[in-house]
Amino acid sequence: MRQSFLRRLAESVVILIGVALLIFIMLRVVPGNPIEIMMGEHANQSTVDRMTAELGLDKPIYVQFFRYITGALRGDFGTSYSLGKPVSSLMRSAFGNTLKLSVSAAVFAWVIGILCGVLSAVRAGGPADHIFMGFSLMGVSMPVFMTAMVLQFFFGYYLHWLPISGSGSWRNFILPAIALGWNSAGAISRLTRSTLLDVLQEDYIETARAKGLTETTVVLFHALRNTMLPVVTMMAIQFSGMLSGAVITETVFSINGIGRLSVLAISGRDIPLLQGTVLFSTAVVILGNLISDSLYSVLDPRIRREA
Amino acid sequence: MIHNSDMTLEVQGLSVSIHTRKGTTKPVNDVSLRIPKGKIIGIVGESGCGKSMTARACMGLLKPPVKIESGRILLAGRDLVGLPESDMCAVRGSEISMIFQEPMTGLNPVMKVGRQVDEAVRVHRHIPASKARQETIRMFEAVGIPEPEARYNSYPHELSGGLRQRVMIAMAMICRPALLIADEPTTALDVTVEAQILRLMKELNKAGTSILLISHNLGVIAQVCDYVYVMYAGQILEEAEVCALFDSPLHPYTRGLLESVNSLRREEPVLETIAGSVPDFLHLPQGCSFSPRCGQCLERCASGEPPLFEPEPGHKVRCHLYDKDTSRI
Ligand SMILES: Nc1ncnc2c1ncn2[C@@H]1O[C@H](COP(=O)(O)OP(=O)(O)OP(=O)(O)O)[C@@H](O)[C@H]1O
Ligand SMILES: [Mg+2]
Repeated sequence: MRQSFLRRLAESVVILIGVALLIFIMLRVVPGNPIEIMMGEHANQSTVDRMTAELGLDKPIYVQFFRYITGALRGDFGTSYSLGKPVSSLMRSAFGNTLKLSVSAAVFAWVIGILCGVLSAVRAGGPADHIFMGFSLMGVSMPVFMTAMVLQFFFGYYLHWLPISGSGSWRNFILPAIALGWNSAGAISRLTRSTLLDVLQEDYIETARAKGLTETTVVLFHALRNTMLPVVTMMAIQFSGMLSGAVITETVFSINGIGRLSVLAISGRDIPLLQGTVLFSTAVVILGNLISDSLYSVLDPRIRREA
Repeated sequence: MIHNSDMTLEVQGLSVSIHTRKGTTKPVNDVSLRIPKGKIIGIVGESGCGKSMTARACMGLLKPPVKIESGRILLAGRDLVGLPESDMCAVRGSEISMIFQEPMTGLNPVMKVGRQVDEAVRVHRHIPASKARQETIRMFEAVGIPEPEARYNSYPHELSGGLRQRVMIAMAMICRPALLIADEPTTALDVTVEAQILRLMKELNKAGTSILLISHNLGVIAQVCDYVYVMYAGQILEEAEVCALFDSPLHPYTRGLLESVNSLRREEPVLETIAGSVPDFLHLPQGCSFSPRCGQCLERCASGEPPLFEPEPGHKVRCHLYDKDTSRI
C-alpha cells in the first residue's frame, strides 16, 4: 500500500515535469514576441533587445527551462509581464478565492447530489425519483454560464437577495457555488442512484435484510458504503477540476480566482503567468487523482490488501 | 384451525404471484408445508421451480412485483402473512433465519465478517459491543471456524467459500432461531466442504433448531432430511418420509429424478433422464403441469389438475394414477 503510493507519487512528479516542459516549449514556438506585446507597438529595437536579455529570453531554451524549474522549486515562478507582480503572489491570492468557491460548490454538490441520488434510488420509479432526476438532468445539461446568469438575474437583480458579482464577503460565493455545484451535483446524484440500485440487488443486501435489519439500516450501513466507491472517485476528480480554476463561473461572477487569472494570462500573452497557472492546475488534478485512489483503498479492503 | 404446538412452521396454501407486463405468473402455487419441531425438512426440485421463492416468502423478503397472493405462514401459531414490516424485522434473524446459495457474494465485501455477525445479535438483543463480540467468537467456534478471534477481523475476500458459508451459518444461528432456512447452502461448494457443512447442519438440528433445507441435489436431501417435498413448477407433486420417498417413489416425476441419479451413480450413459424441459410459468400446460413430459399420462391429465392423493399414510402424491376412484380412469 505505502509502496504503491510512493510509486504513484514519483510518477506524479515525472508527469508534472513533463507538463512543465511541454508548456514551456509550446509557449515559445507560438508566433508573437512577448516583449513586443509587453512594450507596446512603438517600442524601439534596443529597448526590446535589452528587455529580452534581462528576462533571459535570448538564452537557449534548455537553459531557460532549467532556470525556470530551479526557480519554481524555490517558489519563484517569475514575474507577470502584464501585471508586473510576482506570479507566485498573484496565484496565492487568486487561489484563496478559488478555494472558497470550490469548497462551497463541492459541499453543495456532495450534500445535494448524494441525498438526491439515495432518495431517488430507494423510491425508484416514484414521483420523488422523477423530480430529483429531472433536477439532476438540468444540472448536467445546462451550461454553467446559463445557470449562472439565471441565478444572477433572479436572486440578484430581481429579488435583491444576494450580490451579483465580486468576492468580498461569503455572500458573494453563494450563487457561484450553486451555479458551479449544480452541475456536479447532477452527475453525482445520477451515479449514486444507478450504483445504489445495482448494489441493492447484491446478495449481501439480502443477507443483511435476512438478519432483521430495517431497510433504512440496510441502505445506510450496508449499501451506501459500497455505493460510495465509484462516487468518491468522481467527487475527488470534480473537486480537483474546480480547484484548478472554474474559468466560466469565476468570469461571470467576477471572482478573482485561478480561472480568471488564466484567462488574463492568455489574453495578455503573459508567459510566466500562464506557465504558473497551467502548472498549478496540473498539480492540483494529479493530486486529486492521487487522493481519490488512496480514498478508494481506504474504503475498499479488497484493494487495500492487493496493493 | 387449532394450532399444532409441535409445528415450528406451517405453511398453508401459499401462492405467490408476479405481475409483469407480459402477464401474471404464479411461481408458487398452493404450497403447504409442515415443519415439525426438531426435524429437517427438505424441498427438492429442478432449477426455477419456485423453491427460493417459497423460502423468501416465509422470511417476508418478497419485493414488488412479487407478492403473496394467498395462504398462511404460521410461525408457532402466529400468521406472518400481512405482518407489518417492523414486526417482520423482529422475526427475521431472530425466530427464522436464512442462509443463501452464494457464500461468495453473500457477505458485505467492505465489512469485517465479525462485525457482520455481531450486527445480527445487536439488532435483536440490545447488548454492548464487547458482549456481542464475545458471542460472535463463541459462535464462530461452534460452527467450526479455526482461530475465531483472528477470523473476527477478516474481510470476506480473505476467507474460503467453506469458511464464508460457516460465517453465514454463524450469523443465522447466533440468535438461536427456531427455524433455519437453508437455500441450497452447499451448491457452490466442493464435495468435501459440502459434507462438512451438512454435518454441521445436522449438529445444529440436534441442538434443537428445525431446518428447512432446499436443494436440487437428491443426494444432499437423502443424507440429512427426515421428510421431503418434491416441487415442480410451483407445486408440491409428492411428499413423504425420506425413506419412503427414496424406496418407493410414487410420482412419475420423482421416479424420473431418482432414475437419473441412479444411472449416474452406475456410471452408465444417462438413459433415464426426463424428456422435455421445465415449463415456462407464463405458459403452464392445462391440467397436470408435468403431463407434457410424463410417460404415463392419462387422458384427463391434460385437462384436470390432480389433487393431492394419499395412497399410503404420510405419503402424498399429486397424480391421477393414484386416484382410488378407478371408475374415473
Ligand atoms: N423478481 C422476479 N421477477 C420475475 N420472475 C422471477 C423473479 N424472481 C424469480 N422469478 C421467477 O420465479 C421462478 C421461481 O424462482 P425461484 O428462484 O424460486 O427458483 P428456484 O427453485 O429457487 O431455482 P434455483 O434452483 O435456480 O435457485 C423462476 O422461474 C424465476 O424465473
Ligand atoms: Mg433458488
